[in-house]
Amino acid sequence: MMKRYILTAALLTLCTTQIWAEGTAIEGFELSTAPINRNDMDSIKRGAKFFAGTCASCHTLTYLRYDKVAKEAGIPTNNKPIAINGVTPPDLSLEASAKGVDWVYTYLQSFYKDTSTASGVNNLVFPGTAMPAILAPLQGEQVMVEKPMYDLTHHVQWFDVLKPVKQGSMKPGEFDETVTDLVNFLAYAAEPFHQEQQTIGYWVLGFLVILFVLMYMLKKEYWKDVERHRE
Amino acid sequence: MSENELTTKKNSFMTWIDKRYPWTEFWKKHLSEYYAPRNFNFWYFFGSFSLLVFVMQILSGIWLVMEYTPTGDGSFSSVQHIMREVRYGWLLRFMHTTGASAFFTVVYLHMYRGLIYGSYQKPRELVWLIGMVIYFCLLVEAFTGYVLPWGQMSYWGASVITSFASAIPYIGDLILTWLRGGFSVTGVSLHRFFSLHVIAIPLLLAVLIFMHLVALHHVGSNNPDGIDIKKHKNKDGIPLDGIPFHPYYTVKDLVGVVVFLFIFSSIMFFSPQMGGLFLEPDNYVLANPMVTPPEIAPVWYMTPFYAMLRAIPNKLMGVMTMAAGIAIMFMLPWLDRSRVRSIRYKGGYSKIAIVVFIICFTGLGYLGHEGVSPLRTLMARILTVGYFGFFLLMPFYSAYEKTKPLPERVTG
Repeated sequence: MMKRYILTAALLTLCTTQIWAEGTAIEGFELSTAPINRNDMDSIKRGAKFFAGTCASCHTLTYLRYDKVAKEAGIPTNNKPIAINGVTPPDLSLEASAKGVDWVYTYLQSFYKDTSTASGVNNLVFPGTAMPAILAPLQGEQVMVEKPMYDLTHHVQWFDVLKPVKQGSMKPGEFDETVTDLVNFLAYAAEPFHQEQQTIGYWVLGFLVILFVLMYMLKKEYWKDVERHRE
Repeated sequence: MSENELTTKKNSFMTWIDKRYPWTEFWKKHLSEYYAPRNFNFWYFFGSFSLLVFVMQILSGIWLVMEYTPTGDGSFSSVQHIMREVRYGWLLRFMHTTGASAFFTVVYLHMYRGLIYGSYQKPRELVWLIGMVIYFCLLVEAFTGYVLPWGQMSYWGASVITSFASAIPYIGDLILTWLRGGFSVTGVSLHRFFSLHVIAIPLLLAVLIFMHLVALHHVGSNNPDGIDIKKHKNKDGIPLDGIPFHPYYTVKDLVGVVVFLFIFSSIMFFSPQMGGLFLEPDNYVLANPMVTPPEIAPVWYMTPFYAMLRAIPNKLMGVMTMAAGIAIMFMLPWLDRSRVRSIRYKGGYSKIAIVVFIICFTGLGYLGHEGVSPLRTLMARILTVGYFGFFLLMPFYSAYEKTKPLPERVTG
C-alpha cells in the first residue's frame, strides 16, 4: 500500500506539466488515441461516405478537389460554408495534420450539455466551440460528472469526465466505429499519399540494406592495402 | 578492339582534354593524390554527408520550384498541390524538409568534430572561418525556406525573426521596413525571401563550399591525433601516414552514406514531421495575421540562440547576446592557446569545458523549444553564461593546463 502511494506521488510530481490539455480546465486531461488503421481502405471509404452525408453541408475539403475517394463518396467540391454565430466552419483538408488525429477523435466524442453556452453544448478539448453537437442524435446526450475518475498516473480521458444521459440512435460501439472511420478519412484527407509513402519506404530501406552489404565488402577489399601497409 | 587499344584510345582522349583543361591535374590534386591521414574515425563522415545533403537540397529544390508559387495567395495551396497532385511531389517535399533538419544535424556534428580535434588551429583558421560563414548562410537559408509554405509558423516566425532588426537603435525600424518590404510581413516579404532562398544564398553556399574545400586541400586534413602527418614523408614526398582520398576514403564514405541514407529514409518515409520537431503542426494552417499562435518557437536547429534571446529581459541586449553567441564561434582559432590540437592530448580543464559546452548548447536548444517559465528562464541564463564561459575562458584554461606528450606518428 505504502509502495503504491509513493509511486503515485512520484508520478504526480513527474506529470506537473499538462500535455495536450490546451484550454481544458480538467487537470491531467489527456487525448484518447484514435484507434484508426490508415491502411484500411474500407474504413476510409465509410468515413468519406459519412462525411459527404453529415459534415459536407458545413465543412469544405478544398484540397481534395481531384481526389478519387472524395469524388466516389460524392463530397461536393464547390460548396461555400455558411457562418454559424459569426464563425465560418473551417476547411478540414489538413485538420488531421494541424491538430492531430487524437485531437479530432477526442473532440468528436466529447460534446456535452452545458446550459451556460449559447448553443447549449460545450466540448472538452475545445471549450466554447462554435460547432453544434451535430453527432448527438447518434451518440446520445452526455453530461459532465461531478468528480472525474483518476487513475494511478493521474490521467483523465473524456469518458472519465462525461456520462451518457440519453441513448442515441447508435449503440456506443457502433458510434465509436463511425467516429473512427471519419477520423481515418480525415487522416487520409490530410495525407492521401500516406500508403504510397509507406510502401515505397519499405522498398527503399530494403534496397539500402543490400547496398550496405555490397559497399561494406568493397571498402574491406580496398582497405586491405592500408592494413597491410601498417604492419 | 583489344584491351590495349582501348587504353591507348582513352589515354589519347585524356591527353587531348588535359592539354586544354587541367582535368587529370585536378583529379589528382583533390582526389587520387590528396593524402588524407589514415586514422580518420567516425566523426570524419560528417563533412562528406554535408556535401551530400547540399546536393540533395539543390536537386529536390529545383523540382519543387517547378510547381511552387511564391505569392501570399498561391503559396499555401501550391504546396498542397505538390503534396497531392504532383507525381511523387510529397517525396520531393519531404526530402527537402527532412534534408533541412539533416543538414543542420550533420553540420553540427561536423563542427563538433572540428571543436574536439582542434581542426580550427593554425594553419586551418581560414577553413574554420569559411565554414562558419557557411553555417551562418545555412541559418539564413533555413529561415527563408521556412517562410515559403506560408503557414502560421512561417508567418509568425518571419514576423518574430525580422523584428530583431528593430532592436537596433535609431535606424532599427527603417531596416525592419526595408527587410519586410512593408510595415508588416506580407506576400511581398514572402516573394523576396523566395528569391534569397532559391538564388542568392544557394549560389553563395556553392562558392563558399568550394572555397572551404580549396582551403582544406591547401593545408591538408587534420586528424583525431591533431598531429602533422607531413613531418614524416617517404622518398617520393608522400606522408607515411597518409592515404589517397580516392579510392580509400571514397569507398569508406560510401559505406557511411548508405547508413546515413537509411536513417534519412526512415524519417522521410515514416515520420517526416518527427513529432512536430521537423514540421510544426501549426504550419498546416494557412498564415493568418489576425491570429497569433499560442507558442511561436523556431525549428530545433535555431532554438539554442532563441533561448539566449529570451533569457535576456532587454530586447536590444537579447538580440546582441544572440548575435554574440554566433559571432564568438568565429573567434575560436584565436581563443584556443593550447600547445596541442586534439582533445586526446589536452588537459583536464579542456575536457571539462567541452562537457560543459555540450550541456549548455543542448540545454539551451531544449529550453528554446519549450515555453517560458521562471525556472526555465533562470536555467537559460545559467546555460548562457556557461556557453560564453566556454569560449571566453578558453585563452586561460587552454594555455595553463598540463597537456599530454604528442605521439610521433598517428595512432589507431
